[in-house]
Amino acid sequence: MKRIWWEQIKAVMRLEMKKTFFATRGLWIYFVALVPVVIFIAYAIANSTQIHRSENLARRQDRWLTYQDLQAVRNGMSKEQVIALLGKPPVNFHWSQHGGGGRTTVHDELHYSDGVDDIYVSLVDGTVRNIHISDGYDMGRDSVMFAGVFQFFFLRLAVFFGCLGIFMNLFRGEVLDRSLHFYFLAPIRREILVAGKFLAGLVATSVIFVTSELLQNVAFLWHLSPGARNLYLYHNHGLAHAASYLAITVLACVGYGAFFLVAGMLFRNPIIPTLAILIWEGINPFLPAVLKQISVIYYLKALCPVNIPTPPGMPPLFAMLISNPDPVSAPLALVGLLIVALLALYLSSLQVRRMEINYTTE
Amino acid sequence: MNDRIILEDVSKFYGEILGVNRVNLSIPPGITSLVGPNGSGKTTLMNLMTGLIRPTQGRVEVLGYKTNDPEHLFKVVGYSTQFDAFPKGLTGFQFIYSYLRLSGMDSDTARQLGRQAIERVNLADAAGRVIAGYSKGMRQRIRLAQALAHNPQVLILDEPLNGLDPLARAEMIALFRSAAAEGCYVIISSHILHEVDVISDQVILMSNGYVVAEGAIQSVRNEISEHPTQILIRCNRPRELAAKVLASEQASEISIHKDECGLLLKTRNADDFYLALNKIALNGIEIESVTPADDDVLSVYEYLIGSDEVVR
Repeated sequence: MKRIWWEQIKAVMRLEMKKTFFATRGLWIYFVALVPVVIFIAYAIANSTQIHRSENLARRQDRWLTYQDLQAVRNGMSKEQVIALLGKPPVNFHWSQHGGGGRTTVHDELHYSDGVDDIYVSLVDGTVRNIHISDGYDMGRDSVMFAGVFQFFFLRLAVFFGCLGIFMNLFRGEVLDRSLHFYFLAPIRREILVAGKFLAGLVATSVIFVTSELLQNVAFLWHLSPGARNLYLYHNHGLAHAASYLAITVLACVGYGAFFLVAGMLFRNPIIPTLAILIWEGINPFLPAVLKQISVIYYLKALCPVNIPTPPGMPPLFAMLISNPDPVSAPLALVGLLIVALLALYLSSLQVRRMEINYTTE
Repeated sequence: MNDRIILEDVSKFYGEILGVNRVNLSIPPGITSLVGPNGSGKTTLMNLMTGLIRPTQGRVEVLGYKTNDPEHLFKVVGYSTQFDAFPKGLTGFQFIYSYLRLSGMDSDTARQLGRQAIERVNLADAAGRVIAGYSKGMRQRIRLAQALAHNPQVLILDEPLNGLDPLARAEMIALFRSAAAEGCYVIISSHILHEVDVISDQVILMSNGYVVAEGAIQSVRNEISEHPTQILIRCNRPRELAAKVLASEQASEISIHKDECGLLLKTRNADDFYLALNKIALNGIEIESVTPADDDVLSVYEYLIGSDEVVR
């Protein structure tokens, strides 16, 4: 590549980044990027409260219980048997219900905890009638939940619409503002202009969504004890997963960015290409193998580090959306995604050569 | 490399609407004015010359460069458009500087050329202000600065004097003249005819998407045979001269100037009349001056296009 082309790309990027980061019409993108962070902060606060509550409960018991102790409680046991098994309950709600014919029913609600999981034992007239074990913090389950939010909210909605807002406006926004001629009057190849604008969009979306992803990771882990955090990060692939999510976020920006860049040049109305791409990405699991490959989510799903198990009893249609029946290997997914993005950029470069300034001076 | 701006059988249609039709031009260096009413195709022609739009048919080349090759074309072309939109948030200086950086110039060169261009259009005091706060005239000048900044050989200027005060107009006209004197191609569109008349080396008259006449203004006038040439003669005895001219049958119409110091006549053959005048004026009539009265752009424009929308 000629040195002057690189200088021109940098000049385009300088102008575009200023517009992309500080455009009023793009403020909603920051909001969309922040939504999952807020979700994880809320989750962390709820989880943290739950952990403290369970620990407090466990501390107030006669002895330290195990999960097996909690599971040993059975329906039909008497209150005395439960107390003999688990000790005096730290929380005991007791009330009487007066029914017809002067009959009185005595209710008890006993709470125990092993420090992580809680058990709620409901007794009627001194006999266990209902047992509910509330599972506490579980890193494995939370990893799957994080993966679910990442795949189904962050990638498919937040990054998707964020890229739509930024890349679609790189050319279309200039046409609406009637300022595209500024670039078209400079001695610069139009392909270089496409490259500069694409890279500016990529830097902007990557900064916004990688920051969001980093904050999500922080929110996801901050409420854990240092020991639990180290265990997850360094012994349970947590760090590798976090790095994968960041890389996938950047690749999603590359893929969706290239798609929306060309869509912004080909269509005046953004709703049509947006719906088309959204539906195309949504029906990807149902497409024939060849068509699946002309998609971004197909490759991103293959790169995700945590597989989301299909819950038992889920309708097959939804199960297909979650599962990845014919995944490609990570290197192939990477190459495939880059090829699809390059094809979209090639289309953009063809289209930009055909573009004319059709807005008037009125 | 070709040394002309060539348009060969160029047509441009916007769907069903005609922009320009079958235009053939070969524009030499100097100041060339595109003259015509609104909607006559002046801006379309300029946009075609700069590749902002592509011809529906025909060929456009600027000094041998194709208009679909902006990388090379805009090294020799500067275009001041009428589009009144600028990249948001930029100051006047940043606008020019960014344009020069887009051209691939290093920071120091861009800074230096940017300052020079802004000084040439007398906007140095406002260079640090955001363009959004500029007046119409200032925005016009900053667009001119952009067109001039990289010292192009070809300057294409769409209504460059719009919004400028008389002093600024005079300065800009002087600027165009100096550029033309240095061998530049300066193409100006305007509907302010007296200004065009003053500055143009040649004119291109346009109407409804067609080029109706082109060339040096006098030669264009000479080709208009249906309108007799008007000649103003300043002399001491206009009535006597008028009688002699009528007797010689060289003029079709004569009127005495209201100051009684001259006469205005119309003739079908100006060259024959000038020869005849030498004989007619022998008998003591002192002729002070003989000047064509309708070989200016305004007259030619009125003859060919009509007087509607002309700003005198």
